[in-house]
Amino acid sequence: MLRLSWAGFRERWTLFAGAVLTVCLGVALVQSSLLLLISAAAGSAPAGATALARMRFDASTEAAVALLGVTLGFAALLAVFIISSTFAFTVEQRRRELALLRLVGGARRQIRRLLLAEATLLGLVGSALGVPVGVGLMAVQTWLLHRLGFVPDGFTGRWQLWIVAVSVGTGVILAVAGVSLAARRAARVRPLDALRETGEATRVMTTARWLTGLLFLAGALTLIGLSPVGGAVGGQAMAMNVSVCAAIGLTLLGPSLVPAVARLIPVRAAGVLGELAAANLRDDRRRTASTAAPVIVLVGLLLGQAAASSSFTAAGRQEQQRWIAADLVIDAPQAPGDRVAATPGVAGASTEVEVPIALTTGNGDLAYTRSATALLVDPVSYVRTHPGAGDLTALREGAVAAGPGADGFSPGDTVGVRVGDRDLGPLPVVAAVPQAIGGGATVLLPAEVVPEEQLAGVPSHTFVQLAPGVPRQQIVAALTGVGTVSDLDAWLERDSVARTATSTGVLIMVMGLGGLYALIGVINSVVVAGATRPREFASVRVTGFTRGQVIRTAVLESVVVTVAGLLLGLLAAAGTLVGVAATTAAVTGAVTVDVPWLLVSAVVAGTLLVTAVTSTVATRTATREHPVAVLGARQ
Amino acid sequence: MQSETVIALEGVSRTYGAGPTAVRAADGIDIGFRRGSWTAVMGPSGSGKSTLLHCAAGLERVDAGRVMLGDTDITTLDDDELSELRRTRIGFVFQSFNLVGALTAEQNVALPLRLAGRRPKRDEVRTALAAVGLGERAGHRPRELSGGQQQRVAIARAMVTRPEVLFADEPTGALDTSAARDVLRLLRTSADDGQTIVMVTHDPAAAARADAVVFLRDGRIVDRLAGADVRAVADRLVALEA
Ligand SMILES: Nc1ncnc2c1ncn2[C@@H]1O[C@H](COP(=O)(O)OP(=O)(O)OP(=O)(O)O)[C@@H](O)[C@H]1O
Ligand SMILES: [Mg+2]
Repeated sequence: MLRLSWAGFRERWTLFAGAVLTVCLGVALVQSSLLLLISAAAGSAPAGATALARMRFDASTEAAVALLGVTLGFAALLAVFIISSTFAFTVEQRRRELALLRLVGGARRQIRRLLLAEATLLGLVGSALGVPVGVGLMAVQTWLLHRLGFVPDGFTGRWQLWIVAVSVGTGVILAVAGVSLAARRAARVRPLDALRETGEATRVMTTARWLTGLLFLAGALTLIGLSPVGGAVGGQAMAMNVSVCAAIGLTLLGPSLVPAVARLIPVRAAGVLGELAAANLRDDRRRTASTAAPVIVLVGLLLGQAAASSSFTAAGRQEQQRWIAADLVIDAPQAPGDRVAATPGVAGASTEVEVPIALTTGNGDLAYTRSATALLVDPVSYVRTHPGAGDLTALREGAVAAGPGADGFSPGDTVGVRVGDRDLGPLPVVAAVPQAIGGGATVLLPAEVVPEEQLAGVPSHTFVQLAPGVPRQQIVAALTGVGTVSDLDAWLERDSVARTATSTGVLIMVMGLGGLYALIGVINSVVVAGATRPREFASVRVTGFTRGQVIRTAVLESVVVTVAGLLLGLLAAAGTLVGVAATTAAVTGAVTVDVPWLLVSAVVAGTLLVTAVTSTVATRTATREHPVAVLGARQ
Repeated sequence: MQSETVIALEGVSRTYGAGPTAVRAADGIDIGFRRGSWTAVMGPSGSGKSTLLHCAAGLERVDAGRVMLGDTDITTLDDDELSELRRTRIGFVFQSFNLVGALTAEQNVALPLRLAGRRPKRDEVRTALAAVGLGERAGHRPRELSGGQQQRVAIARAMVTRPEVLFADEPTGALDTSAARDVLRLLRTSADDGQTIVMVTHDPAAAARADAVVFLRDGRIVDRLAGADVRAVADRLVALEA
């Protein structure tokens, strides 16, 4: 049987090369993310570091681990999705060949076994290539992590021998899983039906597929509904996941949705070529859906995450603008003491110092300690510069207030706080400032609880309110001795970018590499779709189409499918924006939606360009042989 | 010669579709085929010839009636048993040859044996190809062969398992006169060697080479001629199509 497979291999190498490529890249992406995650989690602070530096290291490790966890999750999701759909597609495209085997006596079981053996082989080859590619990818990802400042200087991804087993296992299992459903379906169709494309062979949507697709869409709607009540952190996570669910759901319903959407695009206006293209799209709904699938995922995920991320950044900035009453901000290498407030013309100043802490919530067996941040403040000045903060009079030594980034505790609870090696003991939560969408410190502590010597070298920022009628430049000049003085708006701009660094990092790491992978999925499906159609192209040519016309028709088809995929992908991304609008409205009181139009147009134009070019090349290849020679073999 | 019946259709009916658009492609067909006989099936287009063949070969479900291959009622078999039947006891040749394009002539012929889990002896396959006059072309792919040659590969593939019945649906339909003549000569030889053949054809000349001709109209057998010449067959067909 495998000899037979091998013969098929040579004949349709582009089909199989595409499948191997998706396994290779999927495995590489998963392997690299997993190794980095493990390396980051195992890292320890350099010897001889101060207690506070060690805490800082732990906090950054936690951030890196969280980032890599998300990266790994997305990599795995994309790998599962793209590998299994590509493999399923390769089976779909060979229905005719499989029917022939059935006609000469191949049993269903044999067809299934052949396809599974093939998938195993392709999975093995793909993973074998994926392991070294993954090593290269890890270097790229490590470089990115350093560039984005997520890991300490000496960080490197460590190679583990057992990862080979994991990678190969992942590749083979995903390939086999992708094929097994399609193989079952292909084998179930009666051979004559498969040859004539009648009966069961024309069914593209199974009940299970309908149900799963609708379930994912329902999930997306539920997430939209829940995001306003999820709080700042939960709401953001839910909004971000809307496009993931929606993209998967729309893809599953693709065989019904994509042709319907494609119909709305007026290709017929392009004359007889357009008519043929439209007919082809309708006729092979499976191919149409499989080509659009990676586009939907690419656009839905990439643009959904990007739009959510930039919206939340904008919302965070606007929120701070509303919430902070100050004219200038001074960044100083350490707390400036009373010098700022004593400067003539300064009406008020609030100095804030952010320190890493270990925060314990719950008690007894449920006690849980994690890295968090505390903002050391003077409660009175803080309330002056943050008029919405509420009543902080109870915040003095021996108490804490829930900060803008608090999560998991509220006034009335008791939390344990440790700063460096100083344990402040269990402290009552006596007040809470409003939660901020941009996050921020977990708790507020009165400045005096941490002795000054422990804060040596810890930077501070001070919000400054000016007395009316005093020339600004004069005060700026007087304060430059304390530290770097900025306008509030400029400072907030920088601060919000820094605050959302994690989500931006996720975006660049995950979406950059993942987007590239999805783009390869797009290219692949176009290649696969073209590679299996030489006969069809030949029969169009013998009826009088020139080769150029055949190519133009095929390109037109790809472009229409891509546009349909783009529309559905944008719909998925729009779902996330609805969630964003609901979350920002609930948390900050104002709907903030910021669409990165430049990225949107780049992705749309790039996808169209890529499919058009790929389709041209694939069709050129498929029409290279003289049509009569192709049709001569009446298989 | 033996006169035992190899395959028999008993009251076979098959309707496509439902409601007002339903087509009764086979309507209570009763017919038996004796061992070593070559029967041609003729009739107007759409009269149900292919349907009859597909039902007899277990490629199509029947709505009513039985198809007895020896002692087996093949309408009761499940898909696995039918697959097994196709690679052991039944051979089928299509008008459009249905060869696997990626495989050479030799590999195509070996396919049913390989599917049966046998490693075919080189000779076995070569002999089958030689019998259809293609001993020299074993290594060629279908697209490197002429239409007539491809059809002969398809016949070799159908015969390599020594099936009890060989079904052929318009095997000469896509061939020119001389290629058709080669194929018919080949079928005649096999029939004379005891091969049971049921062949659908539109060509009176082809039908005249068979031992008997069965005429079909609207899914029913309407006539039967034995040992008729080309002219008699053609006249009968014209009368039927009128
Ligand atoms: N899969 C199918 N679905 C619906 N109707 C069918 C199907 N197959 C055949 N038919 C119908 O059944 C009738 C008989 O078809 P069949 O193919 O047996 O005719 P035929 O005698 O072989 O014709 P021809 O000489 O043109 O090959 C026709 O009216 C045809 O339209
Ligand atoms: Mg027919």
